Amino acid sequence: MILHLNHTRHESAAASTSEVVSTFLTLLEEGHLSAAQFARLQIYLDWLQYKQNFREPLTVMQSTASEGGQSPSMEVRIDSRQVSPGCLRALVQKAIQPSVPDSSQGRIYLEDFRSMRSSIVWDFNQLYWQRLKDWERATGKSYERALPGGVSDGHHPQAISDSARDFWKLLKDLETRNQLPAEIFVLEIGVGLAMRAGMWLDRFSALDQENGTNYYPRVRFLLGDYSLSTLERSRPAVKKHIDLCSFIALDALDPTKALSFLRHKVLHVHSSNMYDNLPDEEVVWRDNRLYWVQVRAYIPLEEAARIASASSLALEDVVQTVNRLLEVGPSALPDPEKGMAFWMQIWKAIRFEERLVDAVELSEVALPVGLSYVQMEDILKDAPGDLRLHLSSGALESFRNTLPLLHPRGYLHVQDIFVTDLHEYCMGFYGPGKLDGSMVNWVNGALLREVAHRVGYDLHFAPFPYRAGSKTSILYTTQRE
Amino acid sequence: MTLPILPTTMVGSYSMPGWLERLKTDYFARRISRHDLDEIHDCAVRSAIKDQEMAGLDIVTDGELRRDNMIDYFIERLPGIHIDRSSKKFYYDFYDSEVLGKIPMAALGLVDDFKFLLANTEREAKFCITGPHSLCKRVRNKYYPSDEALATDIARVMNMELKELVKAGAKLIQIDEPYYSGFPEDLSWGVKVLNKLVDGVNATIAVHICYGNRYGKPSWEGSYRYLFPSILEAKVQQLSLEFARRGGEDLDLFREFSPPFELGAGVIDVKDQAVESPDIVAERIRKVAKFVPIEKISVLPDCGLFHLPRDIAFAKLRAMVDGTKIVRKELGR
Repeated sequence: MILHLNHTRHESAAASTSEVVSTFLTLLEEGHLSAAQFARLQIYLDWLQYKQNFREPLTVMQSTASEGGQSPSMEVRIDSRQVSPGCLRALVQKAIQPSVPDSSQGRIYLEDFRSMRSSIVWDFNQLYWQRLKDWERATGKSYERALPGGVSDGHHPQAISDSARDFWKLLKDLETRNQLPAEIFVLEIGVGLAMRAGMWLDRFSALDQENGTNYYPRVRFLLGDYSLSTLERSRPAVKKHIDLCSFIALDALDPTKALSFLRHKVLHVHSSNMYDNLPDEEVVWRDNRLYWVQVRAYIPLEEAARIASASSLALEDVVQTVNRLLEVGPSALPDPEKGMAFWMQIWKAIRFEERLVDAVELSEVALPVGLSYVQMEDILKDAPGDLRLHLSSGALESFRNTLPLLHPRGYLHVQDIFVTDLHEYCMGFYGPGKLDGSMVNWVNGALLREVAHRVGYDLHFAPFPYRAGSKTSILYTTQRE
Repeated sequence: MTLPILPTTMVGSYSMPGWLERLKTDYFARRISRHDLDEIHDCAVRSAIKDQEMAGLDIVTDGELRRDNMIDYFIERLPGIHIDRSSKKFYYDFYDSEVLGKIPMAALGLVDDFKFLLANTEREAKFCITGPHSLCKRVRNKYYPSDEALATDIARVMNMELKELVKAGAKLIQIDEPYYSGFPEDLSWGVKVLNKLVDGVNATIAVHICYGNRYGKPSWEGSYRYLFPSILEAKVQQLSLEFARRGGEDLDLFREFSPPFELGAGVIDVKDQAVESPDIVAERIRKVAKFVPIEKISVLPDCGLFHLPRDIAFAKLRAMVDGTKIVRKELGR
């Protein structure tokens, strides 16, 4: 048996490690576990970043070969945060019963096994952003209040002020070199209510006036979001600057699609807390083999029964009602209030069953746009031997498809939560988690860095210095010579 | 060989295959030998030449596939320049290099590349080199009093190599000087250095000036206006400039200054993977022809095709050739 300690929480590690060892040894002695099973057992002690997540306190995963056969290894993942002392034995004994992993007993499945990127949970995520007002009304608190810490680092006044000042300095330098373009394009992707955009323009305008540089009238500020209703809601925040602003519906995964006319022209691109909410998937690198993590979303039967009863539904109608919810929102139920409650309870109850699919050949894995197989091999070559990591597919595609917009002196700023070194994946579990009604995954900055190198950018990650305890980092690009 | 009107050619580099990138990097990691890499390069260059011929180009190059990038291939041949060989992790990275003393005269070994090209095509051949101004900007100068002095000495050494190329049969030589656009303030001395480089070189000389193509993206932006009037002093026969990506605004400069040069007009955007139609290419050529006499125009991509996938690079060359044929037909030539 190999025990992997994937976090650095001292007290939790001490308590759970001894209980894990004694539990599995006892199960071996009592014959619940064979010697062969014990020899190939891998146990991972995780600490999940998000209290609301898709994991049971304990999950058992069998490695599955691509041709459908099962590999002999067994993986047990334990969320140290959820497991109460003394409960481990019962959980393990239940989980290692041979019939359990492939049985639908006790679970109502919402989908078949698939890549996490195409899981139904992303439909929930989309519904949340489409119906944010409904959700906020039902919970009685704004999205921002639901964030850890209750505030968004995206709106921090000093951060915005410094950003405006840095940009002004760039323009000054370009002017000195006689290279200042006639039109100064700035793009913010994922604008929300445009609070940041409004504050940024206020500050930039003031700086410009203080210095008499007259850059402000040349600014073309593009507010980009996939949602037209969000763009509409963002207008009041930039009312003072409305003549400089354009509101553009764009695909966050490929901003260049809508803005190809601005290729190599945008001097500053910014996004806050967007990458962590884009579709993602995970892979496992173990013994020089790559495994695809496939998921199957389910609702525990007991939870489903409780939700059905509260929603005046028959248990067998739950899946159909979930699908209807994702199509039409809370009006999926005759009483929208009940529909809202149904949505929130289902979301809270959703769990993932997982399996590892042997990729056999790396070229069989559908990698995100911008990441080549050669690069992936190179990256993994230097990675720790047993690693579960995010591919950050959506973030990577968005990033890769934003870079062509940058002017030769332009730069991209992304405020988000990043894993900046692959080794960090051995010391934490960075999602997927549930943040209010949305998805959250930390972004694999190490992967972004490799992709950036090959297309001519160096990536830097600076800790967010404006709020103590913030987990946010600032990604910024510089030209690679 | 007589060239048709609106002769078509590449700026220099052809699509760098992913497998060749990997093998080059393997060489730097000492996983394959120099001998093996040379053989691989020979195959890749033959293939690049064949692609150009199949696309229908009138003048072909060796695709520059032996080169890691436009700087290092020359820097490592210049004697007296010290290179930190551990500084390159990926083949395309630039070496860290510095010059600590006067650069002595020496052969640079480019003639063999040209002979290989000649031996593998019956078309007109063009040989491209990076110019002294661009090279001097990538070397840490610890000896010469100025960049100009360093570039002048590089030109002195390279001049001899150009003459050797002519002896080997080179009739058309292209000097790449993209760094002019990044350092427009250098242009007046840059042109003097260029003239030293080509002094006594009995060939048609083109100078290619773009806004950079490192990693397939521009390194600078601006207007070609900075070239004038200094560039008029250049003792070259052709200016090769990019117009496809940047549009034709700067073509006005040819009316304003009536330069004595032929124009190698970039009509293929090498920074966009969308393949132009022949009609678009034809339209771009017609636009150029409004400012430059048709007899003085050559048709080229904006810059090297290095960063484009091979199928796209080939399709773009073919579109360029087909678009040129449309205009030739209109001219009855």
